[in-house]
Amino acid sequence: MKILLQWLKEYVDSGVAPEKLAADLTLAGMAMEGLSETEAGPLLELEITTNRPDLMSHYGVAREVSALYAKPLKPIEPQPVEVADLAAGAAKVEIEAPDLCHRYAALVLCNLKVQPSPEWLRKRLEACGIASINNIVDVTNYVLLELGHPTHAFDLDTLAEKRIVVRAAKAGEKITTLDGVARTLKPHHLVIADAKRPVALAGILGGAAMEISLRTKNVLLESAWFEPVTTRRAAKDLGLRTEASARFERGLDVEAPVRAARRCAELFLELAGGELLSGVIDVYPRRWDVPEITLRQGEILRTLGEALPAALVERLLAALGFVAARADQDSWRVATPSWRRDVSREIDLIEELARHYGYDKFPARLPPARQPVVLRPHAQAEAALRRALEAQGFDEAVCFTPVHPKDAEKFLAPGEELARLRNPISEETSVLRPSGLLSLVETLAWNVNRGQRHLRLYEIGKAYAVREGRFQERRVLTLALTGLLREKSVHEDEQPADFFALKGAVEAALQPFALPPFGFRPCDLACFQSGERATVEAGSQRLGVLGRLSSTLATDFKLRQAAFLAELDLEGLYAARLLAPEYRPVPRFPGVTRDFSLLLDLPVSFGSVRRTIESLGLPELVAVAAVDRFRGGALPADKYSLLVRVTFQSHERTLTDEEIRSASGRIVRALEKELGAKLRA
Amino acid sequence: MTDILQKLPFKITQLGIQSPEEVENIFAELRAAFDRELGEKHDIEGLEGIRIRWRGRKGLDRLLRDNWLKPESKFKPAVGKAYNDFKDYVESSLALRLQHLRAQEESREMAAEGVDLTLPGLAARRGARHLVTQTLEEICDIFARIGFSVVEGPEVETDYYNFEALNIPQHHPARDTMDTLYLDLPARALPEEIRGPRSDPNQFLLLRTHTSPVQIRTMEKQKPPVRVVVPGKVYRRDNPDATHSFMFHQVEGLAVDRDLTFCEFKGAMEYFLREFFGPETKTRFAASYFPFTEPSADLAATCGVCQGSGCSVCKHTGWIELFGAGMVDPAVYGFVDYEPGELSGFAFGMGVERFAMIKYGVDDLQLFFQNDVRFLQQFRR
Repeated sequence: MKILLQWLKEYVDSGVAPEKLAADLTLAGMAMEGLSETEAGPLLELEITTNRPDLMSHYGVAREVSALYAKPLKPIEPQPVEVADLAAGAAKVEIEAPDLCHRYAALVLCNLKVQPSPEWLRKRLEACGIASINNIVDVTNYVLLELGHPTHAFDLDTLAEKRIVVRAAKAGEKITTLDGVARTLKPHHLVIADAKRPVALAGILGGAAMEISLRTKNVLLESAWFEPVTTRRAAKDLGLRTEASARFERGLDVEAPVRAARRCAELFLELAGGELLSGVIDVYPRRWDVPEITLRQGEILRTLGEALPAALVERLLAALGFVAARADQDSWRVATPSWRRDVSREIDLIEELARHYGYDKFPARLPPARQPVVLRPHAQAEAALRRALEAQGFDEAVCFTPVHPKDAEKFLAPGEELARLRNPISEETSVLRPSGLLSLVETLAWNVNRGQRHLRLYEIGKAYAVREGRFQERRVLTLALTGLLREKSVHEDEQPADFFALKGAVEAALQPFALPPFGFRPCDLACFQSGERATVEAGSQRLGVLGRLSSTLATDFKLRQAAFLAELDLEGLYAARLLAPEYRPVPRFPGVTRDFSLLLDLPVSFGSVRRTIESLGLPELVAVAAVDRFRGGALPADKYSLLVRVTFQSHERTLTDEEIRSASGRIVRALEKELGAKLRA
Repeated sequence: MTDILQKLPFKITQLGIQSPEEVENIFAELRAAFDRELGEKHDIEGLEGIRIRWRGRKGLDRLLRDNWLKPESKFKPAVGKAYNDFKDYVESSLALRLQHLRAQEESREMAAEGVDLTLPGLAARRGARHLVTQTLEEICDIFARIGFSVVEGPEVETDYYNFEALNIPQHHPARDTMDTLYLDLPARALPEEIRGPRSDPNQFLLLRTHTSPVQIRTMEKQKPPVRVVVPGKVYRRDNPDATHSFMFHQVEGLAVDRDLTFCEFKGAMEYFLREFFGPETKTRFAASYFPFTEPSADLAATCGVCQGSGCSVCKHTGWIELFGAGMVDPAVYGFVDYEPGELSGFAFGMGVERFAMIKYGVDDLQLFFQNDVRFLQQFRR
């Protein structure tokens, strides 16, 4: 709301400098958005909250200023001179929809001279952002900015049968509004009609055909009250938010129309001559009942924490237009002014008092603690995951969850559908992501295409999908690797990211949890490259998926280097207990290692070698490690060599050569028998 | 030959100079004296001593200027030129020598232990936690210190939890300030335990516009006293720019009890802001309006850039606007079957990215979601 300080001063003199006034109004709930100089003097821009339509006017703000500084507020009592002829004889008003139009007041003025407005009026309107049109329209706008109540001037001679009917629009009915747009109406729109057709959208904008023109002589001035929700819906439907609709939709003062109309008339007579017919045509089918609220000192204290002196309470309420009468020693009966429809409860009055007493005057006290703080159920699990991943050099990403459907489909699991938005901002953000993999692929591409080629990223977020008509959001952990794990330096060779670096990260993420033994199994997920993709499973529970991004997807996302990604299901992980460290005696006797160089058929895995060794149940066996792996060269095409290192250790004694030899022999025999392995020289 | 340095305390006019050549000669002598001293020093400390003696504020240069340069004489132009040449000579000799001594020192470092001490160390690189996560954790930690537990809830919500139960009915003007993204799915697609008995199963689901629905869910499950903070993602139908995003993070909080007043509300908020921005921070409570709080306040803190004196960051007000808060509107208690006459409380909600931007001077909201590692890695701890 734009407030001209010289105009404001016509109703109240704050006695303070503009900057101080702006700061005080901000504290009282009218936040200063700007203070500037205009042709009409200093202009204060205030942000008015949606509950206070009464502050969308100079007089409304003046009332607050008067209460803030305990300065008198000048009353506005328009006294336009009337001629003998009756307004009721010149026009008729009917309200067919009294629930949507609680009141319709009209004045009739004759023989007005439509002409440009005087300079003072033009300057004020223009400083407040309203274009000057002619003296009649300008006066209605001026009174809008002064009192906050919209009025509308019709050219009386264009109204069929000089009749006003307030009614619901008929389906498909048309009106061309003042902005020149032809609009088709719906039955929930409220219109002002004459005997034949709609002449205005109620509370929003007038019709073009009844516009005040240079030929206009006689005017019907409308000053009405329209229901907020109806006005708001219509303005939204029609994409037409006006100064009038912005006020009606917040609930205006139903007692204001006659005063606003008479104020207009006073100015019409001054600026356009003519005569005002006597009387107001005032159709008022839905009277407003003045609410009475009980205000208790005890409740003020209970809410605000400080008692306010009774005299202060009474002064502030009176200054804001409330009528407070003592009910007993500690309470009042308070009648609400008609312009404050936002105040209907005791708490509303308490807020008024706090606001004008000053929030800054209340002391600050820490609230007492009441119960122990409860962490989120998975807080420790999440912290353990973050520690594990950050220790491995993974940076955390936080990604948008609305994504492009064409990308999302590539990561959709069988049996799932995308969760679509009804009113997305754009096609690119019109579905919720079905997987975290998509987001990290995009993040890798963003970075690689900006020269950042060596990346380790994790994200803890959600994935969203619809399965059999059911919407579900689930927590996921996503990992991504690309480029080099380590760049070449004087100390070390470079080390590229590969599947096993990803597998190691997955294992590190799972390590903190008490899970059944988990394993990696081949899978056929299309987003990963065949031969380098797996699920990770613990018993019958699938914990996640991992693999090398398929070359098709890499091309789609313009990612020109190998990328390795994993997604783990956090709902499953968070359901598991966190492992607590367990003490075991530190071995007192040395361990012994033996290397076995094996020639194996290609399908035989390291895992089956290890299982075969472990299943021998050798009591001193502590570790089986793969040390080297080799294919090609002189070896047959369907074979490979594997160097396996086995560690033996006893807690009771140093192992003898004989014991090691015997165990080694059993290992070799078992590998030969079970896996067809050959020991190489 | 008398030591040229002993001539410095005398005015040049007292030295009996007869020609410009003699001017040059005495400066040549000065240069030779400087060279002798420089030749005697072999370490950086000694070099610094020479610099202070010849070029320091109270050193020989002062005598030179006062006694030789300033006095009026017919040789003044010659003295001026000779002085400037000498000054340049001293400066560049010192600089060259310093460079030389440093290089010597470095080569000694290497020779001493047999390894090149200047090669970088070998260490694993830690990953960086996202600035949003760090800020969110910091906010929750501060509130934990004054008794607030952390709760979370779903991002996809019903109209009931996101609006209605927060005292924002259909067609309420406050809905305009939170433009909402709706899903193309009715509420009945949500599992019943999340949808709750009061949500209309036929209304469209939405992406929550704030984390306040979790406050309602908490009060449905828990009787007072309540002290919770709710971190999480929220969504608005805003076009992205440097200060807007259709997705961002909030931490909202709620306290309900039998003895909480506006004073405790102020105490908790001031404590939080001082912990987050520093002990000197002052807080401003301006009256405001939110449908779910009353009295409502907009909180601002003294601008950290200008300490409240006014600058371009705070638009010359001295204040940075931070978030909305207030006493819980009693109407909200009605939705969760709390007894409004006996209870009171306060609620607040802040944008996590906004707090991070203010604290670290980040100037573009989009940086938080681009995940450029050159941004992410700046916040490694």
